[in-house]
Amino acid sequence: MEKRDRIKVLISVIGLDGHTTGSEVVSRMLMDAGMEVVYLGIYQTPEMIIQAVIQEDVDVIGISSHASNYTQIEELMGLLKKNNLDDISVICGGTVPKQQIQELKNIGVSEIFTPQSTSESIINYIVSNVKREKGPSIN
Amino acid sequence: MKRETDYGHPIKSVYTPKDIENLDYEKDLGDPGVYPYTRGYHPEGYRSRMWTQRMTAGLGSSRDTNKVLKQYREMGQRGGMLVICDRTNALPIDSDHPIGRKEVGVLGWPGASLLEFEELMDGIPLTGQSVTLLGSSAMSSIRLGYLVALAEKRGVNLNEVHGSITEYPFCNTFGQTDAQPLDLNLKLWLDCSEYIIRNKIHMRSGILSQHFQESGGNNAQALAVEMAMLKELCSLLVNERGLDFDDVAVYPYELVSVGSRFFEEIAKIRALRRMWAKMAKEKFRAKKDKSCHLLIAVHTSGRSMTYQQPLNNIARCAIQTVAGAIAGCTAIDNACLDNAYAEPSPLAARMSLNTQHIVADETGVTDVVDPLAGSYFVENLTNKVEEEAYKIWNKIEDLGGIIAAIRKGYIQDMLRESAQKRQREVEKGDRLIVGVNDLVIPPEEDFQIPIQKLEAGDSEKIARRMEEWKKTRDMPLLEETMAQLYSDAKKEDRYNLMPSIIEAVKAYATAGEMMGVIRKARGLSYDPLETIDCPFAFE
Repeated sequence: MEKRDRIKVLISVIGLDGHTTGSEVVSRMLMDAGMEVVYLGIYQTPEMIIQAVIQEDVDVIGISSHASNYTQIEELMGLLKKNNLDDISVICGGTVPKQQIQELKNIGVSEIFTPQSTSESIINYIVSNVKREKGPSIN
Repeated sequence: MKRETDYGHPIKSVYTPKDIENLDYEKDLGDPGVYPYTRGYHPEGYRSRMWTQRMTAGLGSSRDTNKVLKQYREMGQRGGMLVICDRTNALPIDSDHPIGRKEVGVLGWPGASLLEFEELMDGIPLTGQSVTLLGSSAMSSIRLGYLVALAEKRGVNLNEVHGSITEYPFCNTFGQTDAQPLDLNLKLWLDCSEYIIRNKIHMRSGILSQHFQESGGNNAQALAVEMAMLKELCSLLVNERGLDFDDVAVYPYELVSVGSRFFEEIAKIRALRRMWAKMAKEKFRAKKDKSCHLLIAVHTSGRSMTYQQPLNNIARCAIQTVAGAIAGCTAIDNACLDNAYAEPSPLAARMSLNTQHIVADETGVTDVVDPLAGSYFVENLTNKVEEEAYKIWNKIEDLGGIIAAIRKGYIQDMLRESAQKRQREVEKGDRLIVGVNDLVIPPEEDFQIPIQKLEAGDSEKIARRMEEWKKTRDMPLLEETMAQLYSDAKKEDRYNLMPSIIEAVKAYATAGEMMGVIRKARGLSYDPLETIDCPFAFE
């Protein structure tokens, strides 16, 4: 089993949300820390994100979130499980109400980064929680 | 802690007459109501006209939004209604679109047909208050269609309606992405604007620095981008559509984001007034005094509303509202304390409106126009931000103007850098935000505010309603109007689509259908998400 030398993170906005500033700032932050970032951008359905996850063979998935994205993220978590990809950590970042944080964790989201989370906290979390070992080729 | 303006200019501890040595009252300020209008447009200020106090509304179906609007009127929303569209309508796609249906009515009004506009305005007059519909740029032409159609139905003289339903072509460029290409947004904006101006309809177009600034731009950049946009769009209306500048000048309105750096925000707005007046007179050779006025509304900064300790946001919003009021503006819509969480809860909405009432009724701010004029500090700040803005604006012009600068990615790069810079400043503690990087308390100790919960079932209900309703329309009439729209949209850009859009709107065509047909005519996919096909067959 080989381990990848650079952590590969997929960053995406989900659904019809068009606000990209947060995801761009985080992508930059992760690249500066030496990670490889696959940035999907906007108008990504859960299915499209799964496709990219499979194709890109990422270690971590970062989703830009709002209060209103819950059902979309729920769908994503379901699809990850269905495709046996639920060993990949999913983290959410954005304006997620406190009440929703536990709900998201209950459906398998590893961590939620609320507004003004520091680069340090996000980077440290990813580095300490990338569990995925690169195994034999899937495709 | 940095003692600098948000654009990086060092701030001294004391300002003296020396700091405004060269200030010439007549030339640089003028009395309120006198060129260059630095001090404002009305000699009596708020005594002659109070700022419009309003709140953004839009959540769920048209009927739900209608209820909220009526609630706000009771809460004292004076003078105007403001409705924002949902994510589907921002593209636009219809509520029954396979991808759209999951998010219909989320964070806004779906607004996909004349029927929905009728429901939105049920029991609400078109006249007697300003009517403002916010949304994406391309939808401006369709929103105008709704207005024209409903005014006709109600027998209301369109010239008696006022407000805004047009958004500038770059509104989804800064920190967001538009589903429609820039050239289409621009063409439709020109069509919509030309129709409004020629028909003397008193509906203005938002040409906003707010989006840019809320995505991370600083004050000097915001002024530069704003002026560059105004210049180019007004020039196009004059040169390409053959309109008179004095008719064009009363069309734009600016929405300025006001943050917590109190004095800088006031300086920014004063500088903006002066910059517009100078451009109107010197570059466009305005013949009327009114042409040198820029309608400026204030939006208190949603971005500054923190997630941590949200009750603190009441203080922030109050400070920003006072700044906006002192700077002088025509309307204020303030952000709510729960902005980082969800759509405004009734508590948060009431709090924001009350904040405006308190500022208006209790502080004395409305008694005097431009009360900080003559302040060594404020005049110095006004001059400085204007100077920095001109530097950036000149760079934009060197690149060929704002459209060229956007196509080259210059503005987006500038914005991205500024956003990153702000992030770093907060992380390093150069800029303090109470509760965030200063005086932080554990989340468990924080006050739990009520949050407006989103009902999961709502979107699907709206989607299904649209599906069913679509079948009940007069299909032959609809198809006729769609064919006409398609044919017109194939003509050259200069050909105004408003007449055919209005006919389609009256036939109850939906936003997704109308925009889809226009896109198809221009060689684009009917559906911006490339999931559904055009349901109409042409030739």
